[in-house]
Amino acid sequence: MKRKWERDFGLQGRMLFTMFLLGIVYLSFLVFLSYSGTPPMFMLLFVGVFMGIQYFYSDKMVLWTTGAHIVSESEEPKLHDMVTRLCAIADLPKPQIAIVQTRVPNAFATGRSPSKAVVAVTTGLMDKLSPAELEAVLAHELSHVKNRDMAVLTIASFISTVAFYIVRYSLYFGNMGGDRKRDGGGILVVWLVSIAVWVISFLLIRALSRYREFAADRGSAIITGQPSNLASALMKISGLMEKVPNEDLRKVEGMNAFFIIPAVSGSSIMNLLSTHPSVEKRLAQLEKMQKEMN
Amino acid sequence: MGLRDFMDAITGRSRLPKAKSEKLFAISTASITLESNMGLKPSGAAGICFKPIGATAYESARQEIEELLEYSSKETETEFRLEKDEFNFLWAIFKDPDFEDLVANIHLVSQTLEDRGFGEQILCAIYRFDSEPEAGTTGHEGRPGEKTGGGKAVYWIYSFKQGTYYPFIPLSGRQRDSPFEFRLRTAMEMEMPVEKNVEKWYPLWGIPF
Repeated sequence: MKRKWERDFGLQGRMLFTMFLLGIVYLSFLVFLSYSGTPPMFMLLFVGVFMGIQYFYSDKMVLWTTGAHIVSESEEPKLHDMVTRLCAIADLPKPQIAIVQTRVPNAFATGRSPSKAVVAVTTGLMDKLSPAELEAVLAHELSHVKNRDMAVLTIASFISTVAFYIVRYSLYFGNMGGDRKRDGGGILVVWLVSIAVWVISFLLIRALSRYREFAADRGSAIITGQPSNLASALMKISGLMEKVPNEDLRKVEGMNAFFIIPAVSGSSIMNLLSTHPSVEKRLAQLEKMQKEMN
Repeated sequence: MGLRDFMDAITGRSRLPKAKSEKLFAISTASITLESNMGLKPSGAAGICFKPIGATAYESARQEIEELLEYSSKETETEFRLEKDEFNFLWAIFKDPDFEDLVANIHLVSQTLEDRGFGEQILCAIYRFDSEPEAGTTGHEGRPGEKTGGGKAVYWIYSFKQGTYYPFIPLSGRQRDSPFEFRLRTAMEMEMPVEKNVEKWYPLWGIPF
């Protein structure tokens, strides 16, 4: 039985590789910008300040934009109990717990280190899931904390954000660029390179992001010892379970609804762009783990 | 899309899909995996469900199948009965401890119906399996209301229209055990043609076996 918390070399390798590639993309982008006339000091200052803000305040920004509020132990004793127990198993300091008031079932973890982490759940999630399923989702979020993959992703996302804004405002950047008189062609090149940087970093981040979801699913399965709990939680959250019809086949057969050609499902380009792997793939992974644990 | 489908699409004609029985046999080999990996024992019961058109067609179909089954069941010693349900669908229900004999009988009925031009009327074939009592809930064997053991009835429904199987696990109160059904899908889709579109996993409430 594989219950030990092994170091996830797959995840760590991928994080390093993504950071490496992003670093190359980022640096060549900066070099390009400075050659095209943007003062390098201005660029470095800009990058430094915003990266700092992103690193130190990203968790607060996430909480603020999602409308999550921190709850104390007396407000949500059951939730706190659950997290305390899971943290003891996972050997983590207890994070702060936040709640988002929305019917959409979801959860997330944020914070740059395990000691500064915040785990947030929505009220919809708590209503919809059984205690065992909720526990599995919390364990998934704690695995993100344990794997320390948030800080990497936060910094990585920043690069693509910068490129994105340069794409949008490259015309102003070009004018600010300096004393030289510049032609429209130069601006166009800056714009195109920015787009390329943005697209590449965007795809790299998505790839890393999907991988870390698998890693967190693994973590949840190890902490709870029950991969199937997370599987059923995922099905409830994704709405997959609600797609299973409840109307009798013989009734529908009368209306010939059974003959309708199935809709085309998930194209490959959408898979490339999404941050989360498809629920089907995650379920297949969890099923495999369930077998290993038996 | 074949030429015929294409012509139909152009001329605006629509046909009912023909019954696809070639994938029906996939359950024979899959049943071994179901038992060894998923703890699902073949219950020895299976059935085929179809809709006869009109009262006379119904009677003649019923008679023909009855005669046919009486003859064939002597060989395999399969028990069978015919039953009409609340939706006016006719069921041929088989009981045999030998799983292969169940598959053979279901195939025989579907083949006969197709030969007589009733292929489009076949709704589905169903194989019943019984799950072992789940770990941690021991001591509940023979609970009233449950047909065997302490486990659940797990049905595999074969849709002749799609040529695919899908799992159906009814719970009390018209609920179904979707998590278990999804687990079966992920575990079995390499071994048998499992319906990919879950929106077609129609339940059949009150399966008479």
